[in-house]
Amino acid sequence: MLSSLLFILFAGAAIGCAIAMVAQRNPLYSAISLIGVLMSLACLYVMLAAPFIAAVQVIVYAGAIMVLVVFVIMLLNVEDEEPRRNRLAFLVPTAIGLAAILIAETAFILYSVQASPYTPRDNVSNVGLTASVGTGLFTEYLLPFEVTSILLLMAIVGAMSLARRSDIISPTTRVVPGSQVLTMHVIDPSSHDDTTAIETDTTTEARFLMGVNTPRDPGEQG
Amino acid sequence: MGPQLSWYLALSAILFTIGVVGVIIRRNVIAMFMCVELMLNAVNLTFVAFSSFFQDVTGQLFVFIVMTVAAAEAAVGLGIIIAIFRNRESLDVDEASILKL
Repeated sequence: MLSSLLFILFAGAAIGCAIAMVAQRNPLYSAISLIGVLMSLACLYVMLAAPFIAAVQVIVYAGAIMVLVVFVIMLLNVEDEEPRRNRLAFLVPTAIGLAAILIAETAFILYSVQASPYTPRDNVSNVGLTASVGTGLFTEYLLPFEVTSILLLMAIVGAMSLARRSDIISPTTRVVPGSQVLTMHVIDPSSHDDTTAIETDTTTEARFLMGVNTPRDPGEQG
Repeated sequence: MGPQLSWYLALSAILFTIGVVGVIIRRNVIAMFMCVELMLNAVNLTFVAFSSFFQDVTGQLFVFIVMTVAAAEAAVGLGIIIAIFRNRESLDVDEASILKL
């Protein structure tokens, strides 16, 4: 009976935080509500005798991934969502209709699962402990594990190539060893506010733009 | 009598539904991204519930893999969001309805 009360508590917290996440206009509040959902789900995982998954949920999801999301929200300094224009107002009834369909499917699942034969086994088992998860991961499911590692590598490369500032170094830019990217106020100290990047191919050219005399032969540099 | 399997499945379906509704009605691309994360978590709850009730560890292994996919999705998705914001100075998906920059 106590476990039922705990389930109702954590499920209510998860649903409440999820609704708050959708209803909030500020993305930062949405992110904090999502962290509430993730923590509630971690508690439910503990109730389901899956302590390893619960710990990974807290560390990886609520820790790493949400820190990344909050970091991006802070970095972009987004405003609250302005009141929606009615250009796509038909989406709201669409969402209500889809939600009704999904809730109907939920009711069907509840009905059919309760009608299906099910015999609970004894509660003494090591399923969900770290040792059993690791054994399964490195023996029977080694191939998905390795494929996942390749996926992570691709994600690292993709994120780096996406987040790179392409206006300074574009794929067609000729990169010369010793080349420099200067800003306007370096060349002209009177223009403090202009931070436009000026690209120079060689160190000699940069020195010329800054008005620095080159002590050596310009032809030997760059 | 503790929580039954159908309770967990119902909670998972409700969370998934809330995620679907959020993706449809929200216009902020970061909020839509977080709703997708909510849907992934709803499916994870289903996996763990089945794994626990049928005493089979396979479901939890796939939860582990889904979490890794979610981490990769977060890295690439947030990179795309930063690129969109840099080009359009806005996070509204209606502003980004044209693929051309």
